[in-house]
Amino acid sequence: MNTRKATAPRVKPAPVARGASRSAKPRLNMRAWREHHAYSFFSSLARIGARPWATALTVLVMGLALALPLLLFLLLQNVQGLSAGWQEAREITVFLKPEIEATAATQFAESLRVRSDVAIVKIRTPDEGLAEFRSQSGFSDALKVLQANPLPTVLVVTARENPRENINATPALVEQLKSDAKVDLVQYDAAWRQRLGAILALGERVVQVLAGLLALGTLLVVGNTVRLDIQSRAAEIGTLQLLGASKGFVRRPFLYIGLWYGLLSGFVALLLVLAVQLALGDALAHLLSSYDNRFAFSALGWIPASLVLVVSAALGWFGAWLVASRHLAQGQPA
Amino acid sequence: MIRFDQVTKRYDSGYEALHDLSFEIEAGEMVFVTGHSGAGKSTLLKLLALIERPTRGSVALAGQNLNQTRRRGIPRVRRGIGMVFQDHRLLMDRSVFENVAMPLLIAGLPREETAKRVRAALDKVGLLEREKAAPITLSGGEQQRVGIARAIVAKPPLLIADEPTGNLDPKLSTEIMELFAEFQQVGATVLVATHDLHLIRRMGKRVLVLDHGRLIDDFRPPVVGA
Ligand SMILES: Nc1ncnc2c1ncn2[C@@H]1O[C@H](COP(=O)(O)OP(=O)(O)OP(=O)(O)O)[C@@H](O)[C@H]1O
Ligand SMILES: [Mg+2]
Repeated sequence: MNTRKATAPRVKPAPVARGASRSAKPRLNMRAWREHHAYSFFSSLARIGARPWATALTVLVMGLALALPLLLFLLLQNVQGLSAGWQEAREITVFLKPEIEATAATQFAESLRVRSDVAIVKIRTPDEGLAEFRSQSGFSDALKVLQANPLPTVLVVTARENPRENINATPALVEQLKSDAKVDLVQYDAAWRQRLGAILALGERVVQVLAGLLALGTLLVVGNTVRLDIQSRAAEIGTLQLLGASKGFVRRPFLYIGLWYGLLSGFVALLLVLAVQLALGDALAHLLSSYDNRFAFSALGWIPASLVLVVSAALGWFGAWLVASRHLAQGQPA
Repeated sequence: MIRFDQVTKRYDSGYEALHDLSFEIEAGEMVFVTGHSGAGKSTLLKLLALIERPTRGSVALAGQNLNQTRRRGIPRVRRGIGMVFQDHRLLMDRSVFENVAMPLLIAGLPREETAKRVRAALDKVGLLEREKAAPITLSGGEQQRVGIARAIVAKPPLLIADEPTGNLDPKLSTEIMELFAEFQQVGATVLVATHDLHLIRRMGKRVLVLDHGRLIDDFRPPVVGA
């Protein structure tokens, strides 16, 4: 549309620039600097949007890598909640000697109830015990053969929490119960509790190590993607450098690309976690209801979720920075 | 403004592109560099833009010895030079406007002033109405003019052009040279490498003639019409 003829007065007589020798020095102009950051922020989004499939693939891989430790973290958090609930209960099962009669058992229970380190005492009579055993064990037919009830009276004692006491230590109450003449056997599974604690600590460490490794993985994915982007833009980068662009100026759009990858993959990770929560929600509710709903499933909160976005964005930025700093230094002419 | 002092440039291949070259260009001069293909014209310009470094001797620009410029200082030197390339080197995924605005973006000018200056530069090369076009949709000559607008938009004290009229018709070549001359008139130093002897003769400016990397002539032809 713009033919040569039409552009005949191409060279205009000069109402010319005052002081051509005054070059545009790089002013430390905060506004321009902010403008360039804003420009890079959006233009880099447009840039990765121009290759939707490649971007989606990168973001999905990174999102998966971030979702995995998140899910493990969530699992651990819930198991910890459960085990805390168990530990709080601190139930001590006391099997009385078979010859102890119901009234004696009730008296003994009363004597325990008044103690300051005891919260609750429940009595399970031999009949209750047998009924429970029948309903749960599937041995109901075999149990019919029994002439008499062989089960003793059982007291389920819940110790009161003593803040000065180590939660893993065996309460003094247990030792005193053991030495009581009416008591046959005391079951207080301290060792089991300690083992669970150790397993949870290990799980925590596993999550930390895994999160570290997968964070490294996301760094590599971002780095590699940005490296390919830098290579495909070698000509453009060369031109910008010839125009006097500083290293920071050339690097900036790539850092924002990394930021976007990180942010988007953070969203993907959160969506994955949400999907898993929804998929497992029913089954979990069922499981938890069997614990008298003493435990509620704790989902990923707002604060950890926003933290995920911050961390993923930082990872993306850092991965891009590592690669861009290295490759732009190599590519610099002269 | 520019001072070459016994400059020798030997490329890694061992080829000596410039040999013991000494000359001086005053601020505000317009100078042509000519010579056969391979004479070393482009090499000379590359030394000024710090794309290459001299093997021996020194190049000074605006009183500053470029030998002492570290890598970190290169962008600063280049911001003081407007460069026109034979192959334009436009950013193909950006509009004409964005291409011309790039030096100002790099220099950190505020947006309104950038827009004003870009339009002024585009107006000067007669492409104001094409500011939104993609460079790929422009003819070779139009792309070259976008490149010139980009070179002058930041009003650098030095303008260097390597074969800016390489494949343009004579009329367009003359117009572009007059643009350069106009830029010189407002105080800039202009250095143009070209083969085009007719053009050089017509412009009546100082000429440096290179031959196999040596300076064999430095003269000012009489003006033959304009
Ligand atoms: N990067 C390089 N490595 C090795 N030799 C080079 C390099 N660049 C240029 N040369 C050689 O240096 C000599 C001068 O090159 P230069 O590009 O300066 O010539 P020129 O005068 O610009 O030629 P032309 O008119 O063809 O553009 C040539 O013989 C060329 O082969
Ligand atoms: Mg050349």
